[in-house]
Amino acid sequence: MDRFKSFKDSCSFGLLANIENIPSFQNTTDAISVLKRMTHRGSMSKDGKSGDGCGILFSLPKEFFKIEAKNLKIDLPKQYAIAMVFLQNEEQKRVIEEICHENDLKVILYRNVPINSKALGDEALKKMPKIVQIFVTPKSLIATKRFDALIYLARREIESALKDDEEFYIASFSDKLIVYKGLMMPSFIEEFYQDLSNPLFKTTFAIIHQRFSTDTTPSWSRAQPFRTLAHNGEINSVNSNLFHATTKGKRIKSQIFTFGELKKLLPITHNKQSDSAMLDNMFEFLLLNGIDFFKAARSLIPAPWENAPHMDSSLRAFYEFTSASYEPWDGPAAVSLTDGRYVGCILDRNGLRPAKYIITKDSRIIVASEFGVIDIDEENILEHGSLQSGQMMGIDLKFGKVMKNEEINDYLKDSNPYTHWLNQNLVYLQEFVEIPFSKTSDYELENLHHLQRFFNITQEVKELIITPMAKDGKEGTGSMGDDTPLASFSKKQRTFMDFFKQKFAQVINSPIDPIREKIVMSLNVGFGEYRNVLKETPNHAKRIKTISPILMQEKFEILKSFGDESKPRYNQAYKNKAFSTLFKSDLKGSLEKLANSVVRAVKEEGVRVVFLDDRGVNEECLAMPMAMAVGRVNQALQKEDILHKASIVAITAEVFDAHSSACLIAYGASAIYPYLFYATVFNECKSDENSLFETKTYLKNSNHALGQGLLKILSKMGIATISSYKNSSLFDIIGLCKEIAKECFPNSHLLIPGLSYEDIETRLIENHKKAFLLDKVQKTFPLELGGFYKYLDGGEYHDFNPSVVHAVHLASITGKKEDYEKVKELINSRKERMVRDFLNIKSDRKPIDINEVEPVEEIWKRFSSAAMSLGSISPEAHEALAEAFNTMGAMSNSGEGGELPSRLKSFKNSKIKQIASGRFGVTPSYLRSAQEIQIKVAQGAKPGEGGQLPGHKVTPLIASLRYTTPGVTLISPPSHHDSSSIEDLAQLVFDLKQVNPEALIAVKIVSTAGIGAIAAGLVKSYADKIIISGSEGGTGAASQSSIKYAGNPWELGLSEVQRVLKANNLRQKVLLETDGGLKVGLDIVKAAMLGAEKFAFGTLALAIIGCKILRVCHLNRCSVGIATQDERLREHFVGTKERLINYFTLLAQDVREILATLGYTKLEDLIGRTDLLKTSNKKFDFSEILHYEEGINRWGKRVNKPFDNNEFEKEILKEVYKVIENSRENIVLHKDIKNSNRSFGALISGEIAKFYGNEGLPENSIRFILNGVAGQSLGAFLASGITIRLNGVTNDYLGKGMSGGKIVIVPKKQGAHYFSAGNSCLYGATNGKVFIAGSVGERFCVRNSGATAVVEGVGDHACEYMTGGIVVVLGKMGINFGAGMTGGIAFVYDKEHGFIDKLNQELVSAMRIDMDEADEARHFLKRLLLTHVNETKSLKAQYILENFRQEVRYFWMVRPKDMMKVPLKPEDGD
Amino acid sequence: MQNFINIERVELRQKKVSERVKDFKQSYELFNKEDATTQASRCIQCGDPFCHDRCPLHNYIPFWLRATYFVKEELAFNLSNESNPFPEITGRVCPQDRLCEGSCSLNDGHGAVTIGAIETYISEQAFKKGLKPKFPGITTDKKVAIIGSGPAGLSAATFLLRAGIKVSIYEKELKPGGLLTYAIPGFKLDKDVVFRRVNWLKEAGLELHLGKEVGKDIDFDEIINSHDASFIAIGQEGSRRPNITNENAPRVMMAIDFLRLSQKKLLGEEVEDSTHLKDKNIVVIGGGDTAMDCLRVAIREGAKSAKCIYRRDKSSMPGSNKDFKIALEEGAKFSFNAAPKEILVNSDGEAIGLNMQKTIIEKDPKSLKESIKMVKGSEFKVDADLIIFALGFISKKSNFLAENGVEIDKFGHIVVNENLETTKPSVYAGGDCQRGSDLVVTAAADGKRAAQNIIKSLLL
Repeated sequence: MDRFKSFKDSCSFGLLANIENIPSFQNTTDAISVLKRMTHRGSMSKDGKSGDGCGILFSLPKEFFKIEAKNLKIDLPKQYAIAMVFLQNEEQKRVIEEICHENDLKVILYRNVPINSKALGDEALKKMPKIVQIFVTPKSLIATKRFDALIYLARREIESALKDDEEFYIASFSDKLIVYKGLMMPSFIEEFYQDLSNPLFKTTFAIIHQRFSTDTTPSWSRAQPFRTLAHNGEINSVNSNLFHATTKGKRIKSQIFTFGELKKLLPITHNKQSDSAMLDNMFEFLLLNGIDFFKAARSLIPAPWENAPHMDSSLRAFYEFTSASYEPWDGPAAVSLTDGRYVGCILDRNGLRPAKYIITKDSRIIVASEFGVIDIDEENILEHGSLQSGQMMGIDLKFGKVMKNEEINDYLKDSNPYTHWLNQNLVYLQEFVEIPFSKTSDYELENLHHLQRFFNITQEVKELIITPMAKDGKEGTGSMGDDTPLASFSKKQRTFMDFFKQKFAQVINSPIDPIREKIVMSLNVGFGEYRNVLKETPNHAKRIKTISPILMQEKFEILKSFGDESKPRYNQAYKNKAFSTLFKSDLKGSLEKLANSVVRAVKEEGVRVVFLDDRGVNEECLAMPMAMAVGRVNQALQKEDILHKASIVAITAEVFDAHSSACLIAYGASAIYPYLFYATVFNECKSDENSLFETKTYLKNSNHALGQGLLKILSKMGIATISSYKNSSLFDIIGLCKEIAKECFPNSHLLIPGLSYEDIETRLIENHKKAFLLDKVQKTFPLELGGFYKYLDGGEYHDFNPSVVHAVHLASITGKKEDYEKVKELINSRKERMVRDFLNIKSDRKPIDINEVEPVEEIWKRFSSAAMSLGSISPEAHEALAEAFNTMGAMSNSGEGGELPSRLKSFKNSKIKQIASGRFGVTPSYLRSAQEIQIKVAQGAKPGEGGQLPGHKVTPLIASLRYTTPGVTLISPPSHHDSSSIEDLAQLVFDLKQVNPEALIAVKIVSTAGIGAIAAGLVKSYADKIIISGSEGGTGAASQSSIKYAGNPWELGLSEVQRVLKANNLRQKVLLETDGGLKVGLDIVKAAMLGAEKFAFGTLALAIIGCKILRVCHLNRCSVGIATQDERLREHFVGTKERLINYFTLLAQDVREILATLGYTKLEDLIGRTDLLKTSNKKFDFSEILHYEEGINRWGKRVNKPFDNNEFEKEILKEVYKVIENSRENIVLHKDIKNSNRSFGALISGEIAKFYGNEGLPENSIRFILNGVAGQSLGAFLASGITIRLNGVTNDYLGKGMSGGKIVIVPKKQGAHYFSAGNSCLYGATNGKVFIAGSVGERFCVRNSGATAVVEGVGDHACEYMTGGIVVVLGKMGINFGAGMTGGIAFVYDKEHGFIDKLNQELVSAMRIDMDEADEARHFLKRLLLTHVNETKSLKAQYILENFRQEVRYFWMVRPKDMMKVPLKPEDGD
Repeated sequence: MQNFINIERVELRQKKVSERVKDFKQSYELFNKEDATTQASRCIQCGDPFCHDRCPLHNYIPFWLRATYFVKEELAFNLSNESNPFPEITGRVCPQDRLCEGSCSLNDGHGAVTIGAIETYISEQAFKKGLKPKFPGITTDKKVAIIGSGPAGLSAATFLLRAGIKVSIYEKELKPGGLLTYAIPGFKLDKDVVFRRVNWLKEAGLELHLGKEVGKDIDFDEIINSHDASFIAIGQEGSRRPNITNENAPRVMMAIDFLRLSQKKLLGEEVEDSTHLKDKNIVVIGGGDTAMDCLRVAIREGAKSAKCIYRRDKSSMPGSNKDFKIALEEGAKFSFNAAPKEILVNSDGEAIGLNMQKTIIEKDPKSLKESIKMVKGSEFKVDADLIIFALGFISKKSNFLAENGVEIDKFGHIVVNENLETTKPSVYAGGDCQRGSDLVVTAAADGKRAAQNIIKSLLL
């Protein structure tokens, strides 16, 4: 899809039903109410009325339609269906009639749906279709029997007949359901569709959806629900799913549809619609083909079963069996679905979206993103719960029964003898391997050095990439950014995979932590063909499986033996054939030949496993790039409709890191045998004279590391299983030509089209020649040294090479123009290295005198330092940056990690405060001290990844700033745990705008294709500023492959964002900033012309204060005292604020000089002026970057105000202000609260922090007694002195970032089965107390570093990444408790003895406390429980206290293994 | 690695003064294994390896330091010898404080990594274990002639031989090595170290013609006609002279002649002038490394006194601080801010001393350039039995070049293009004769570059 028109969406959803299937108008009005109450989760156009779309799917209100038809003089027969159609013209009606007719259906009535167009905003009105209901009946007896099937068939045919009428759309076509949807805000749906206020419109169930899309040109058809479902979330694996849907489609035989009919139904889905719509197409197809509702649902969105030891084995068998036919549609998802009889709701495997449910005594069920969406008397509530990760629930309306997860599972696992089928048919490669890595003959290569040279394994690669894998089983870590040219612009030998840049999740979806949440991850792969996925037979289990796509000699040989006719194990289902990828000349033709011969072999010889083999490179033969071979062959097989038969295995020398493995898998390889990689390790072991055991271990480690790296790459995109990553094409390709992209990698975005097959061949020939130079010249050391990761003479170009570093040092020290000229000269004469080097400025004006140009000070205002936390850099460096930027009237960025309270009100205050996923030191006073709050969603060096500050770097100072314990390792999660979707991010922006109404809210994202849509979404989330970070951006530590292969240059992202924002008329609403390798005036001017109005400097700023690009930031050995906390090293710090001011003066002067030559007085006038940029390069196509979009070029200097004004809290703030004015006073306020009153407490806390810092007010100065259901983020960033007591329940993010105060939640009904708060509560809390007499959702206390909390039950992943604080759980808990927990303590009451299975024991251990040595802990707990009882009247706690002697033995105390002493302060227990 | 934080820089230990002045043997002790590994472990492994960048040969310093730390001795040896034709020589004679060690990231207060000492260790350790540089033998039918067996010539020969090209070297002296042999004294560079390399080259197929001066013993065009390419590496042996009265008097010598003479005697070659320095007063004019070498040679030859006179102050001395300190330790005397005015001679016309003049450094307030001014009326006399001028080198005219179409510029340097090819096709030149007087390592770098270009033109 065109990325300039692409969009992403996410949303809120709900479902409600009368379990007894009794229709009522109440049900209809409730559905509308649910929709309205979640308005804040959607987005709104500027007309205030058009939304991104919302809608409701209802059970067909038959009575209503009967009467309506009658009014139109039609007596409806018993059997009829209604198509709800968005029409543009009468011709379309004719087509519909005709196709219905052909399908034995008869149109009996057109009903113009009564609407009130005044309910629409202008945007929506412009596109409003004619909305017509078309009533259809069967025309023959057969048609009566096959009515459902024929309706479906007819609809699909109509759709395909009218596919060129873009706006034509059939919202629903069913005899059971009808969908009312459109581009209005929820509050107007009822007004628009007059049917919905007719009391006869009685329904039994409804599925509700409100959309939040990143585009501003939404269309009516994109509104949800679709025909079978409504989806909240993002399907990260949709490319892969779409591809596989096509592949599988070719093999389908239906029992419902004839071959001819089926042909009309294929492809099942297509990519011109949203991910949710594709899922709907798939689900509907399965249902209509007779697949059971629950099976269809769980096939598409399975629970994580691969690494879930607690799961019932027969349920695992069901999933394992299903996995042969289906890969997960993976990504955050809360989906409600229906087939008319069943209504269900399902949550993704990682529980990243909320789904809260209520079952009432009067047989109703409501599932929604939030609690409080309809008013229900608490007395009427039977159950108040929340779906957990991977769970499903359903309602069988026929029998009036609610089915919970276990029941559904029981049904699924018993529906067929899956275990038996698997036992008979499925084999694991591992079963045949005695000891892996005991065979090494494949790794003893005669021409090892030639191959290493040809495939670019340099000494550097060995040391930095391969050795760490072999030794530690992990990818090597590096630091700083990537300052080398793109592969396409390089003059040096590069691997082909360098053209590919990894995709990653940001804003609209979120990455996964593959280490802490490995429970959901899987690398399981299978070989064997796709069978008819509509059937379940024992034969479907016929698969060879292995736990990782990375093979070693043993597994490879076994796999081979299964397909080798001469071997006893031979089975024709796995018949294999090897195809060499070597060639002598004519790369393009050779690829073609290869593809043809593979196609022939699969078609004619029955080959099922295709080995693409690059072994045997010699002085005559070169190897085709393996990614090209895999991509080309895969596409050829798909085109021939035979891909379902074959699996591709790459036997390749090209894979020696996770990135290259991922490339091959993303373009179609099922497995990889990286022989040269092993050979390199093996040879190294040999020359080190390692023992056999060591050698084996090293080889094993290497294999493991590749697997781990793969997990990281897929988790970066938010994908959990390799099966949903395969064929995903999740890379951007930079610099290959369109022909290559089309033939080999058609589903990836191609940026800067350029190099042809011939160019690639020329490069290969050069590499080959160079590799075989060994035969001509005896080298003492046979390999090339490298230069790709670190600078080397004669190696790859580095923008921060030694000369540049020296020149920057000198210029910053002397402040002399002639010294700066040296820097300028070095950078500006580097030739075509970076994207910007290809863009030349051609001004439309005559030069002017420099005195007419705006002064240096004006230019400085546009500068800021890039985020570098105190912790990642030393206090000296951090303060020098702050002082210098403050002196210049520019802004320094604190980075996330807190700042000394004494600095916040001084000249050393960083004006930009960053908030990242770790929430370290993010307190109300920290946030309040900012002029700009920057949400770091991703950073250039490692988008989609978290980080770690090792314990030895956590000095007392760092610990105090981050509210943790010195020496405790601090883990930053890859994602913000309060933001896995765009509406979450809008909520976070809202939270921050409350706590600091004076600050601009910025969001930092990383350049990638499709970033324009993301930026548009950010504007609609009310962000004020967007930072487009380039891949050149630095880091304190990241794996080498992330530094190199994730993220694109900023030029690409910036120009896309500028273009998309302008096209959507959004540009004036936000500021744009860019960073990544900016050094001289020309960089600034070009960035401005591409759209940036602000510029940030990271590495350059460090170089100015003495950084020598040592790239050892991650080792705490920074010899210049910057990236270290070591006092001895900090003595060597030579940076000063003067040096910074010197350099930035010269830089600003440089900008001024350029402005003068261009004839412009202000930089402002050049912003967005791509019309003044030209390129003279003929090889590469820069037209996308240079495209000039008409429209406003820059920010309109107005804050992007949320439509929710938060009047609720503003009014309350007025009431409590006297207490803030006079801290000796106190106040108690009683208020009613609703779910739409969000972030309550943040505004007041911010006000308190403004005056009192984190000290806040004396305890209980301000007390709120709230009644009702509170909205999201209740008590966010709560300050000391505030007590919130809620009689009722609340939603997600309770107490996030709280730094003091107290929150007490007392629902009317208590206990573990009564959910009283949502997900990610207390995220990043630093202090304060929380008592909840009920259960909470997933990820409770994630990254808590100081708060004390007592709850009666928690969901999955509780206490994740916790570094401090105390948590008591008195009841049920989910899985993966304490993952990544490096500090703090949890007490868990485990009467059912199930806890240990749910504990993630990697970092924590659990001990009993009913013995003498735990005396202290026991009494602490007791005191805490007493407080809990006092606050909440908890019956459970009371019972435990009354029977403490007995009950104490059911408690576990969980604490980090490497924390020796329990830091309990008795006073915290009170 | 990165152990600089815990380990201090340790330099090579000089032998006791009383011991080392007794002979011309190596005056220092090489690193042992422990020294080498612990010192190597101090390396940061920078992202911008300034050492490697600064090194004219672009030696793979961080790589072999790492290999040394991990005790991968063969790897270290291979890496070190790949880029460098004779690391154990440059390790000994390079002014590291001005090159790799001077630019080491740690040379800002932490103390640079002792790169030179480790470089020497790596090869010496490997030789002890029996490792040798690898050559394929003569595998091509190509032949290259090299004129001069100094560092540039030997370097070129090494790289050409690695490509299987037959190399013939023509050397006017009786021993190979050029200034490695005749100008650098043995206490800095043991001659066996040089001859060891030459012998390996001979084993690899080098034909070495000693005592053959081109233009005199053998015709230049004969050489170039019988080879596919030639490389001129004849160095720059002319000395800069003081231009004062009596500078050609007996007992006045130019440093290079003095050092060569001394070395020839040690090698047992026949010499015309067999002056013994025993109990004589020696005065050396100049403040560079060559001056220090002359002083130390004089001391070892038994001079009564060895005095150095330099026209600027101590801090302006152009040579390495290390050499100055060593000379001082060994008993050399120093006198600063004085310049020779004339040489005093006895009735036989032999030099007996100098008339000196005090100097003063003046800074131009505008250009900030410094210039030396004589102080009027500050003349004083210095007695001397031998006066040595160490004022630097200039080129010596070689007639055969111009005669054969090899262009020479006004400084007497051979003109070359970016491939080091002279104006005569297939004739290359490098080292001091082309660039002017410079370091061993730059000469070696030129030799390597020329060889690479010759290989490219002959084989690829």
